[in-house]
Amino acid sequence: MPNQNSFSTIYAVARNAFREAVRDRVLYNLIVFVLLLTAAAIFLGELTAGQEARVVTDLGLSATLIFGVFIAIFVGVSLVWKEIEKRTVYSLLSKPVSRTNFILGKYLGFCVTLLFNTLVMGLGVTLALVYVGGGKFIAGVWPAVYLIFLEMTIITGVAIMFSSFSTPALSALLTFFVFVIGHFSSSLRDLAQSMGSDAALVFFNIIYYLLPNFSHFSVIPNAAIGQTPPASMIAYATAYAAVYDIILLTITTIIFKRRNFK
Amino acid sequence: MKHRSLIRDLVLPVAVIIAGFAALSPLSDLVASRKPQLPESYKDADLFVKGRELKGFVLGTDSLVADWYWMRALQYIGDKVVNSNEDLRLDDLRNLDPRLLYPMLDSATDLDPHFIAPYTYGAMVLPAIDGNQAIAIAKKGIANNPNEWRLYQHLGYIYWRAKQYENAAAAYEQGSKVEGSAQFMRLMAASMKSEGGSRSTARAIYQEMYANTTDDAIKKTAESRLQELQWLDERDAIDEKLAEARTRTGECPQRLNDIVPSLLTVRLPASDLAVDARGNLVDPTGAPYVLDRGECRVEIDRKTSKLPLETN
Repeated sequence: MPNQNSFSTIYAVARNAFREAVRDRVLYNLIVFVLLLTAAAIFLGELTAGQEARVVTDLGLSATLIFGVFIAIFVGVSLVWKEIEKRTVYSLLSKPVSRTNFILGKYLGFCVTLLFNTLVMGLGVTLALVYVGGGKFIAGVWPAVYLIFLEMTIITGVAIMFSSFSTPALSALLTFFVFVIGHFSSSLRDLAQSMGSDAALVFFNIIYYLLPNFSHFSVIPNAAIGQTPPASMIAYATAYAAVYDIILLTITTIIFKRRNFK
Repeated sequence: MKHRSLIRDLVLPVAVIIAGFAALSPLSDLVASRKPQLPESYKDADLFVKGRELKGFVLGTDSLVADWYWMRALQYIGDKVVNSNEDLRLDDLRNLDPRLLYPMLDSATDLDPHFIAPYTYGAMVLPAIDGNQAIAIAKKGIANNPNEWRLYQHLGYIYWRAKQYENAAAAYEQGSKVEGSAQFMRLMAASMKSEGGSRSTARAIYQEMYANTTDDAIKKTAESRLQELQWLDERDAIDEKLAEARTRTGECPQRLNDIVPSLLTVRLPASDLAVDARGNLVDPTGAPYVLDRGECRVEIDRKTSKLPLETN
């Protein structure tokens, strides 16, 4: 259990991680996002035969997910690696900062960045919906935005885990694979069931339970038809993400503690 | 001291990981069970972005977006077939009411007018659903690809299924003039005019389809249709022998096996009658025929035969 001192250390590292992300102009993606949504809201009326609100919801939430995932992958893999590469990790770890607290601080600081990013994007989608007269979709948008954020916390965890023992390029690639497979794992398991092969079923069941199941966080089609997920689903999804994050951070700290920086 | 460190640095974290994974499985099931289901109508909602509206707005990726519409069309039909739990054939999907198929194929071919697969698929699936849409997609294919003789064949097939034999003959005739077209096209042009509704014409069409398609679903459909035609020939031959036996003895035979010797001399257009290891007459799918003594006619065994139920 981290003590008071640990909390303040984690907080200090997290605050620096957030500042670093802002300094690295990570949030500039918001400008592109806003431009995309503005263009969509203005021009989609011509293309979608009266379905602007639905398309704005689909496009806005999908862009939130894709932008967020790419930031989580590419910034996530460099969070720890950059400190090692620039050798700033030596001065950090020579202070009373444990490796566990360092990882936790980095992770939480970056999650705050992602949260801010996602909130602004959610606000953008909301404003675009108001503009195209799709007010009734807004209630479904915010749960979807929250679930997207949960998905990004897991992806960040995966990225940090891979980057704790691998190069940034390979870590980014592996994290991307996890993102893709995580979205297909339910379908792959269903496919294995219909194939009737026991070996395939066992294999895809292992993948299904071992890798994160991102379809749990995907309610974009529901939001696009004005459906709102029940509170219980959101609560269980939060618990699922929290448990997965804990697992990933635990694995990362085990690896990071054994890493020799010489 | 070292012992405590081992517990703190390894045993405890590993225990956390194991407990975490153990908790994930029930949590995963709980999330899945509470996730709102999309309504059935969701998949059948009108396309809100059509291919022709996207043309020029997709940064030169028209062909890629056409591929996407094409794959969506296949998934749309595939999902409906999987969820229907019926034994369906590709050329008769009326029960599924796939109303979005035509708009999807139309969008795919708007974005890539030289994409032949959607025209072929439309020619096979659409005639049972909406004949006009089937003709429209085939004609669109021909207009965009006048040198593809297969598209004339598709149009001829659509007209043939609609029993418009004159139009079918014209389509085959036109196709036969395209350079490189198969000899089959000329033969079909002739037989459509003289015997468009005959079994031999139908057999020729499905044999050609079976031999030349690369699509497994189309091959399976053609095979099923050929079996159906074979059943019709066999039924006529068996009924004829049953009628002869009844005339000769004054009553219908007790068992079909009684007329097997006389049937073995009968020659059918495609393949001859078959008997299984027990000497029973079997239909083209290998299931034994049954005798309806009341009518003195042969019947398909509905429980074991894989032939379609609606045959005439």
